[in-house]
Order: sequence, then structure tokens, then C-alpha cells
Amino acid sequence: MSNLRIGTDEWVAQHEERLASQSPLNKLFARIPLWAKWGSFFVIAFVFGAFSDNQYLLRVGVNLALFLMLSYGLNIVVGYAGILDLGYVAFYGFGAYGYALLSSEQLGQHWPTYITVPFITILTAILGYLISLPSRRLFGDYLAIVTLFFGQVFVQLVLASDNITFPWADDYVDITAGSNGIPGLDTFNFFGFIFDDIKDYYWLLMVSVLILTIAIHRVSATRIGRAWRTVREDALVSEVMGVSVNRVKTIAFVAGATIAGFAGTIFAGMQTSVFINGFDLPLMIMIYAAVILGGSGSLAGALIGATIMTILPELLRVPNYGAILFFVALTLTFFVISKKFNRFLIYVALIILIGFAFQLAMKAIGVTQANAEDWMVGLTGDLLKNWLFVPENRILWGNFAFILLLTLIAFFSIAKPIWKQVLLPFIGFTAIFLWEVRLIADVSTTRQLIIGAMLVVLMILRPQGLFGQTRVEIL
Amino acid sequence: MEFGALKTLNDLTIELKEKEIVSVIGPNGAGKTTLFNVISGLYKPTSGSVKLGTEEMLGLSPAAINRAGIARTFQNVRLFLNMSVLENVMSATFGRTRSGLFSSALGLKRSRKEEAEVKEKAQELLKFFGTRLTGYRWDQPAFSLSYANRRRLEIARALATDPKVLLLDEPAAGMNPKETQEITEIVGSLRAERGLTVLIIEHDMHVVEGVSDRVVALDYGVKIAEGDFDHVATHPDVVEAYLGKGSTATK
Repeated sequence: MSNLRIGTDEWVAQHEERLASQSPLNKLFARIPLWAKWGSFFVIAFVFGAFSDNQYLLRVGVNLALFLMLSYGLNIVVGYAGILDLGYVAFYGFGAYGYALLSSEQLGQHWPTYITVPFITILTAILGYLISLPSRRLFGDYLAIVTLFFGQVFVQLVLASDNITFPWADDYVDITAGSNGIPGLDTFNFFGFIFDDIKDYYWLLMVSVLILTIAIHRVSATRIGRAWRTVREDALVSEVMGVSVNRVKTIAFVAGATIAGFAGTIFAGMQTSVFINGFDLPLMIMIYAAVILGGSGSLAGALIGATIMTILPELLRVPNYGAILFFVALTLTFFVISKKFNRFLIYVALIILIGFAFQLAMKAIGVTQANAEDWMVGLTGDLLKNWLFVPENRILWGNFAFILLLTLIAFFSIAKPIWKQVLLPFIGFTAIFLWEVRLIADVSTTRQLIIGAMLVVLMILRPQGLFGQTRVEIL
Repeated sequence: MEFGALKTLNDLTIELKEKEIVSVIGPNGAGKTTLFNVISGLYKPTSGSVKLGTEEMLGLSPAAINRAGIARTFQNVRLFLNMSVLENVMSATFGRTRSGLFSSALGLKRSRKEEAEVKEKAQELLKFFGTRLTGYRWDQPAFSLSYANRRRLEIARALATDPKVLLLDEPAAGMNPKETQEITEIVGSLRAERGLTVLIIEHDMHVVEGVSDRVVALDYGVKIAEGDFDHVATHPDVVEAYLGKGSTATK
């Protein structure tokens, strides 16, 4: 095919060709040095911090930084070392509650910050070590269940520790205030410098993230990082090649736990209150989503994943953005399913027809229509008000529509191709109906649904995540 | 070595002298790879002992045995497929290096120096195989290598652990005559240039003949013959095991 020479194999000979055929965008991207790609994120973060006083945006930035640290930590445990830890969020909670117990009226302790934070962080590291011990001989699913168990033990322990009667005491002790949470925590106070503005926490966090990024990158590129990767690839062979697999796994586990604990103390100081329900499975799932979305095993992936998972819900708070996202996603889906532009147009036309037919049918039956102002949220409401019939009893009809949509999708998945084509416009209409009637007004549900749907689609199209490598596995 | 009621290795004693190359032959299922697994610490034998010099290896973890000086390759080439060629070799130096989490994270001079040394050592080892695994190949993922290159990489990786004894499990399996010849030369130079003691499992008699000081034949976990190649190749029990009863001995 190209300059084939005797003595060199074909794959080697085609090396130049392969290099040349990489997309120009790829090549351009690859030419930007590593520090510049990372640097752009931090430059934006630092410039923003220096020049902005927008409390809301600073709060988003702080949440992003905390979430980023958690993603980094989980990425080390799951992405680098391949340890499936489903109880990771308990370390975050431990760090937060640890700080709370030493900086509030709960136990009457008000330790100085410069002692509390390192102390709790180290304590979390020790806890991580202890929990890694029983996990040593477990792999895969079994490890997942055991770590999940530990995570739940933490939650239950905190909930129950508002009512502990020690054998030697007559009365009970309230250690963690149970489900009430612990309010009124001392904010950070480093040698007189009081963290009374959210900006102080913003800077602390961004600098911490920068340091962590450099540290983790270095570790990943050297001996320990390589050892982690070999353990993830083939733990048995790794051991035979001289890697102390148990020790290396423990290092990953403890490193991840420490990062989470540290982040937990900062979170508690900033919020000045802790509630146990913030350290349970919902957050765990979000962190996992961020890591997997970005690409398990990639530091840049953790960064991108965490950024998307934090920024996207904020963007979706604004109904306009949500609506745009929904309709763009719906259009794209239909476009991809239609494959041919003509067919796509036919579907759109059919959906419009169904809309009008529905309107006529509803009016004929005599269903009362909702006032236009009630349901017109966002710019799409404006556009649709003459086409879409929105009944007055929105909640009831919305629920019906939801069930109908799921049923239609279920049938769609098992239908013969000819029926698939018939079902599709109905699915499209029901989705739009459901969106306008119910979801657009119900912001929190919508956000979760959109993020969930996005994740599902992404996993189907690119299972290795945005920055993950396609991995070759021998089963 | 017993697996339940199955005696895989039955009263087997094998001795290697320093810088000796010994081949283990025998039909499939004779217990050859089990022998390797016992020596490298993956199986714990139900009775017996494994000694390196005077040190007892029995009961040590595979990593500890490796650090004591025993390295091996695998019959079905178990590379770290998603890591690059160079990383595969570099990763095997873990037992001989010391940079921990903190010295790497802080970028200490000691850690950087060690990293550079490890990289150089890996590159040297890969040059051992001519130009096939050098240059830009270093950064290619291991799954992109051809079968023969994968086998060579396995050997390079095992060498990176600085062993005294090398166990090669069918190094020439699936190779054409030219590649087989190369392997034979490489095994020879492993002893000559690096002073290794080598224990090889092989089916290809050309390799066995060209390389061994001594040959041990196993069948059903029992040693049926031992000696130099000519003696073993014509031994009636060995001929029967390989060719069945009633055949004449052929080379």
C-alpha cells in the first residue's frame, strides 16, 4: 500500500500514513502542551475569582471545586486502581461530621482550624485504611457490596448516634444530633484570618484543586501510578511481576479517602452546618456519573465530568435553557433515528398533525383548557400555545402522559420496523406534551431526567466516557 | 501438588544448577505449567518445598518470590494490554524501586532520578530484541503488537524484574521457523550475557535441542526421564507419551 520494504512489517511501514490521517482538529489539539490545556481551566477560575463578586456564581464555583476534588479522589480509587468503591461518599461525610463535632456546640469543642482540618483529614485516612483491610480479598461485585455496606453503616451510625446509652451511664448521649444535623459550625479561622466571605473558600478550594491536580498527575505518571494501572489490568500478573498488589490498592484507597475527608472539612466550614442526608447515595451516584462521564482513569476526564455535572444542573434551572436543551435533544434523536432527511420531515409533519388532532379531540370532549399564562414557561411556551392543548388538570394529565410515553417506548423497543415508524410520531408528540404540561414547571425533576437521559445516550454512543481510552479486555 | 483428588504433580523433584538451561517437556496436561505456578507462588503445593539456593520460597507471596529473583512468562501471553510497550516493561521494575506516593507527588529529585533510570533500563531491555520493539513502538499500546512481538515483550517484562532464574512457558509457541530460531538465540544469550538460570517449557524440539543443557520429561505429573537431549528424546517412555505405543523413535 505504501513504501513497503523487505524486512519491515506492514504495520510499521504504514506508520507515516496513520499519522497523516489523523483529523486536523485532533492534531491541533495534540499540539497544545499539557499545561496549557489544564492552565486554561485554572486561568479562567482565577481570573473569575479575582474580578467577580457575584455570590451565586462564586457559590457555583465552590460547589464545582468540591465536586472536582471528590471526582479526583474517586477517579484514583475506581479509575486508576480499579477498586469499585460504592461507599466513597462516607469519607466525605466523615470529614464533614468530624469537623462539625470539633467546631460546634454539639460536643462543646471549638478547636482551632489549623488543628482540626489536618487532624480530621488524617483521621479519614486512617478510616480509609481500616476499611480497605476487609476489601483486600474481594473483587468486583463483592467489593462493591461490601463498600456499599460500609457507606450505609456510616449513615446509620450517624443517624443513631443522637441516642446512645453507654453501659456505665444512666442517661443517653447525643453525639451527632441524628437526623437533625449540626448547625452553627465555626467557619474557618486560620491564625486570625476569618473565612467570612464565600470568596475566601473559593480561593482555598481552587488552590487546593490546583495542587491536587499537579500531585495526582505526577503520581499517575510514575511508579505508583503504573502499579495502579497494572493492578487494574491484571492483578495476578502484576503480583508475579513484583508489584505488592495489596499495598498498592491500599495506597489508592487511602489517597481517595484522604481527599474526600479534606474536602468534607472545607464543605462543613463553608456551609456552617452538616446534614447526613447530603452524604448518602444520591451524591455517590452523582460523583460516579461525573467520573464515568469524563472517562474513568483520566484526570482530565474527571475535570470535565465534574464540570458538566455541576454546571449543567445550574444551567437547567433557567427554564429557557432547559427548554432549548430538551427540544434540541428531541430533534437530534429524531434526526438520528430517521437517517434520511425526508423521513425526518415527515415525522415532524406527523407530529404537528397529531398535535392539532389532539386539540380538536380534547375540545370536542369538552376538557377544560388551562389558562395560557399558567403553563407558558420559557420561550417554547410562547411558540406552542396555539398548537398544543394543555388541559387544566395538568398534574393528572401529565402523569397519564408519562405512563403513556413509557408504554409507547416499551412497545417501540420490541416492535417490528413497520410499527416502529408508526409509533415514532406518537412518541414525539407525547414527549412534547409531557414536557410542556408537567416537566418544564417541575424544575428539579426535569433536571435529573435530562441529565440521566444525557448519560444514557452518552454511554451508548461512547462507553469509555469523554476522555477515556477504549480498553481492550480479555474475558 | 493436589487439586482435590487430582494429583497434578506427584513426588516431583527438579534441581537447577546456576546458569544452567533446563527444558521441561511432556504432553499437554503433564503438569508443566502447574510446576511453574508452584515455583512462582501462584499455587501452594499440598506438600514439598521450593528453594532458591538455601532460601525457602514456599508460602511467600508471588511478589516476594519475584523480588527474591524468580521471574516467569505465561503460556497464553498475559501482557498489560492497555498500557504502552514501554510501560509494560517499566511497571515490572516496581520491586526494585522505591519512590512512594509522597516523593512522586512532590516531584522530589530522588523520585525523578529513579523514574529516568527506570525508563532507560526499560529501553535497554527492549533494544535486546533488535529494532522490533524500539522507537515509536515504545508508546504504542501493547494490544497493537503482533503475536511474536507480544511474546518478546513478555520476556522483556520478565527481565525487568532483575531475576536470577527465568521461567519461560512455551516461548516459541505459534512462531514460524525464523522466529523460533531467534528465540533459541535469545535464550542462549540470556545465559551468556546476563548469567541467568533458565527453565523452559517447550514443545518444539528444535528449541529444546538447540538450547538445553538438560531435559526433563514429565507425564501425568511424574518425571519419566531426565538427562541430555539425546538420551531423553530416545527414551521409550517419552516416545510412548508423545507418539503412542508401537511407533518408532523419530527426531
